Formats: sequence, C-alpha cells, structure tokens
Amino acid sequence: MAFQLSTGSCEKLQTAPQNDTSVYEAPHTLQFLSVKKVHGATASGTPNQPPPDRYRIILSDGVHFIQAMLATQLNHLILDGQLQRNYVPCRLIIVLDLKVLGSMEKLGEPIQFGASEESTSGGADRQGSLPGAGPTPAPVASSSTPAAKPAVPSRAPGATQRSRTSVYPIEGLSPYQNNWTIKARVTQKSEMKHWSNQRGEGKLFNVTFMDDSGEIRGTAFNMVADDLYPQLQEGKVYYVSKARVNLAKKKFSNLTNDYELGLEKGTEIEEYNFVPLSGLEQIAKDGMCDVIGVVKEVSSLSSITSKATQKEIPKRELTLVDKSGFSVRLTLWGKQAEGYDAEENVIIAFKGVRVGDFGGRSLSMVSTSSMQINPDIQECYDLRGWYDSQGAQTSFHAHSNMNAATSFGFRHEELRSLDDVKQAGYGMPDRPEYFSTRATIMHIKSDNLSYPACPGPNCQKKVTEQGDSWRCEKCDKSYPAPEHRYIMSMSVADHSGQAWVQGFNDVGTMVFGMTANELLEIKERDEGQFNLVLHKAICSTYNLSCRAKQDTFNEQTRIRYGISRIYPINYREEANYLKDLLYSPWSR
Amino acid sequence: MSALEREISPRVNAEMLPKWIGKTVRLTCKLLNFDSESERSFRVEASDGGQVVIQAINTGEPFRPDDIYLEVIGKVIDATTISMLGCIGMGNELDMKLVNDTVILIHDPRFFGKMFSY
Repeated sequence: MAFQLSTGSCEKLQTAPQNDTSVYEAPHTLQFLSVKKVHGATASGTPNQPPPDRYRIILSDGVHFIQAMLATQLNHLILDGQLQRNYVPCRLIIVLDLKVLGSMEKLGEPIQFGASEESTSGGADRQGSLPGAGPTPAPVASSSTPAAKPAVPSRAPGATQRSRTSVYPIEGLSPYQNNWTIKARVTQKSEMKHWSNQRGEGKLFNVTFMDDSGEIRGTAFNMVADDLYPQLQEGKVYYVSKARVNLAKKKFSNLTNDYELGLEKGTEIEEYNFVPLSGLEQIAKDGMCDVIGVVKEVSSLSSITSKATQKEIPKRELTLVDKSGFSVRLTLWGKQAEGYDAEENVIIAFKGVRVGDFGGRSLSMVSTSSMQINPDIQECYDLRGWYDSQGAQTSFHAHSNMNAATSFGFRHEELRSLDDVKQAGYGMPDRPEYFSTRATIMHIKSDNLSYPACPGPNCQKKVTEQGDSWRCEKCDKSYPAPEHRYIMSMSVADHSGQAWVQGFNDVGTMVFGMTANELLEIKERDEGQFNLVLHKAICSTYNLSCRAKQDTFNEQTRIRYGISRIYPINYREEANYLKDLLYSPWSR
Repeated sequence: MSALEREISPRVNAEMLPKWIGKTVRLTCKLLNFDSESERSFRVEASDGGQVVIQAINTGEPFRPDDIYLEVIGKVIDATTISMLGCIGMGNELDMKLVNDTVILIHDPRFFGKMFSY
C-alpha cells in the first residue's frame, strides 16, 4: 500500500519560525527511516528516577530528511511495535516531541536529499533542525512537554560514522543530547585545587569554555584532572565532545549557563589549530600543525626506496590550496597513499602534519597524523563556498624562498642586486643564505665544464675510469660509459656589479640547451662549433635562486655563490610584476 | 614647443585618441579585418578594446601583415582613424591587458616623460 509523502514538509518544518504554528499543526505525512534508541541523560527535576529512554527518528518526506525526537509519551508506540522502519504513520507529527527550532545551522548547506521510500538512512550527515509540534497544538515555545525540558535551540547530531559530529553552539548543550561537539576557546583555567573533607580528598580544576553563543564551565576531577590540566591551555581553541552535561552548581560558578560540563575519562578534547596555508611559513621546519584545504591535485602513486631501510615506501603527493591563496604539497605515505581515492576537489582536514621545507614549505603525514575527508566543520563549509565561487580559478602561490633559512624557489619580492648581496654579506655566519637575483651571464669558464657521473638511478657521484669501464664507489658498480653532468663556474653581472657563481647540471642544461654528454661530444668533434655554443650562451639573462656559503681554504675565507635554481625570464610575468609595482603604493 | 616634442610618438589606446588628434602616435593593436573594397584601410582593436580604422599607405600593393598583433605608427585623423606611417609586427601572442596597463602608466603624469621616454 503506497502512501503519498508530503514533500516539502521537512523543509517547512525546519524553516518555519517558532511561532508559525500552522506548520506544526498541519498534518504531515512522513516516513520514518530509522528509529534509534538513545539513552537519555539525567533529566533534571526528576531526581531518583531512572532517565527515560528516548527514541531518535529520522523522517523523510521523499525530498529531504530530518531528525526528530519522539516524545516520551509516545515511546510506547515503539515498544508496541507500531512504529517500525519504513512505517508511514497516518497520524502525524503532532506526535513528535519538540526541541525548538532555534537557529538554522549557519551555513544553509542544502539538506541532503533523502532517497525514495525504500530508502536507506545512510548519509544522514547534515544536521537537521528538529521539527516542532507540541503534543497539543499549543505554540511551540510553550510546548506541553514536561517542565524539565527547557526549550533550547539545538541541532540534532549528525550521523556518527565520523569521529566528529557537527559542532554545536554552547547554548545548545543539554543533558538530552549526548552526541555533541563544541568548538570553544578556554577563556579561563583555574589552578588545581585540592580538598579534603570527611568523605575523602581529591583534586579538581575548572575551565571556562566560550564560543559565539555563550559560555559554559567545565570541571575535571582527580585523574582526569591530571590528564587534562596540561592539555588545556588558556586562549586556545578546542573541540570538546563526550563530556557529561550536568546542572550547574551555581554555588561554585557565576556563569549564566544552566549547565556545566563534567570532563571525564571518555571526554575527547581535540586541539584545533588550523593554519592558513599562507601562514605556514611562520611555522618552523619540523613543527607540527593542522591544516585544512581543498585538494587540487593528486599525483599518482609512486614509491621511494628508503635509504635507511632499503625498503620501498609508496607515497602520493597532494596539492592543497586554501583561501589564503597559497598552495602546498602534502605527502601521504604507506597505506594512506595506497588507499587514497577521494575525488578531486574534496576538502580534507589534516591534524598533526609535520612541516618541512622542501621547495619552500611542504607537509608530510607522520604516524600521529590524521586526516578527515570533507569534515563536518565550519572551516570546511567556508572553504567549499570559497572554492566553488572563486577558488577554482585562482592561481595559487606556492611557497617559495622565504626569509632566511629556506629553500629553493624564486621570489620576486626579494630580488637582490649583486652589489646588494655582496654588501650585505650574504653567506657569512648570521646572515641569510638564500637570495634571488636576476643577472646576465658574462663568461663561462670552459676548462672544467663537466664531470663524469654515475648513470645509476639517483646517484650523481663521480665515477673513476678503470680501463674500459667506469666505476662508482657508492653504488659499487661499473658502467661502460658515464653520464656527464655539468659543473660550471660562471661570471654573472647586473647593473650593480658582478659575481662568480657555480652551477650544476640543471644550470648547464638550461644555459647551453643540451646535455653535458652532447656538449662534450661537440667539443671533441668540432672545436669551432663548441665555441659557438659557448658564445651563444653568454649575454643571456636569467632569474637565479642562489645560496651563499662561506668556504675556507688555506687561510683564505671566501664566499661562494651557488645557483640552486635557474629560471628563464618570462617577460610577460616580469612586466606584470613591474606594472603591479607601479600601481602599488610604493610608487606614489 | 621644442622640435623634439614634435617627433614624439607615444603609445596610446583607443580612448586617448581624441587628445592626440593631428599628432603622431603608436597604437599597439590586434588585427580584426581588412576593408576589402579599398584594400587600403583595415580595422584593429586597441589594447582597451576600442576599435580603430587604420588607413594604410598607398603603395599599390595590398597591405598584408604577417602577424596578428601590430604596432601601428601613424597620425591621428580623428577619434577612430589613424593614417599609418609605419607598422611593426608584434607576433601572434601578446598580453593586451598588460599593454593597456602599461599605456595607462605611460601617460600617468607621474611618469610621462620622466620614466617613459616618448
């Protein structure tokens, strides 16, 4: 027997304002998708009575689904077996108990679409606000539920497949919901207090949690206090869940909340510290942090042989981007790399990833890291909204050459002239090592352009000739022919001065436009052409990312400049940069 | 004014033409189409999007530039017409937005004549 569900009911029930009783009084035909027993927390006002069992149901109108609690008066319906899964009740929602629809969740994410009548209740992830109708047609606010239940704006918890449920406002906490998570800052932490009285002794400490909606006090006793005391710090933000919600002991606290949190053994407190990607440079190398971002790119699975253990470790790189306009690479290892198969443009929150300085800034999962795909938190929604509207088009800055102690990238903002570099003494102890500059090649020393290197994978060690073959000490192998790699000494100059720099294979390849092997071949074959090649290479300008280092030999201390990266000039980019500079306040 | 000033040919975009009527300017532009009847004039789009008619030199041979982007040096007849004196090919790829921004910067009183030569 097919019933017709009243589509739009769920929507109406959720969006109708509190005093629009017509919505609540009208009959709705909904299907119960799931009925779950929830053990109620202590109902205040009825001491010495076991808390009633409560039933949480999921209602579908075919288009949306929402969650609702069943009034205790109606529990008997469940017990009598009248309301079972997929049962379509005729008499309706008047039956439901009510938690007053408070604010809709901030985001207004579209409510997930319920399936059709034979639906599964999986994926009920979004919070629905609970629909209202008193058991009597009285207006919602003064529903005739037992006086013990205050009307509190709250949200039904999402499905708890994930480790984090949706975030509640502190105001929404009550003993009736025990599946909540709040995100709040510790605004105050007391000292550890000890007491002893006839009943025994113990210790405790208090904290005050605050979020946009209000504050609540939390107390931890004895062993729990010992654990949590160092973990909770004033000023920091945490996700707290699974604490007990008790009636406040007004004697001990002066906060306005009726409730307080009892922090127990099972209470979970997670530190939240999402760093915007642009701020990663502030975090020192090897530091840990949490990030959340949109996965823009996923590389394919590759593997690295660990030098230490000689084992092959699979790895996969993700490129994360976020609102700050920066992108960063994050590496997954082992099982996580293999098992990763989320689609593009998911949002993932990473906790406890290590910050490295490869290529500017990079992130790496360690054993203690955790990741959550499309987590149910505010930042995720913000990111989703930003990404869908502009993020996909924005081009991102990858972290590159930051102040002093890092890396390889080329930074326009930090362009130095050669004279600058010399005057500032780059490379001396206490001075920054890395700098970017733009210079033109004046001369290349042609006597020592390359060295024979080991052709083995990942090995660049010099090989020595032994008769007909070349032997590599590190790999312990012999090869018929080496792979020559560039090592060149060049004189470069710009408007301010000149300097000698050293470049390796990549520099040579770019400057000459051919591999070292090829160049050597030309040299042996035709001296004239070789000179021509050399000649063509000079007087070309490049953007250089360099490293300055101090070398001492024979009592002489010199600063040597080595090229880490060499980039050809992209006039368009450079011109754009200059144009920006002219438009900027600097030019006023 | 000095004789030197009469020889200048600053780069402009379509919007600036009215201010330079009777003077020689350079217009960096993109070729749109030829006016096939006369084979002497053709339409171009300036860096700010405005369309201009260029009157080519009458050499008896049709004017067929190889490149899409051109820099036309000529005398401004009116707000939408330039009489060409010379033409430079700029290739097939040019960032017109960058060109336009640069043209605007050139004429900025802070820079005109000081930083940007004529």
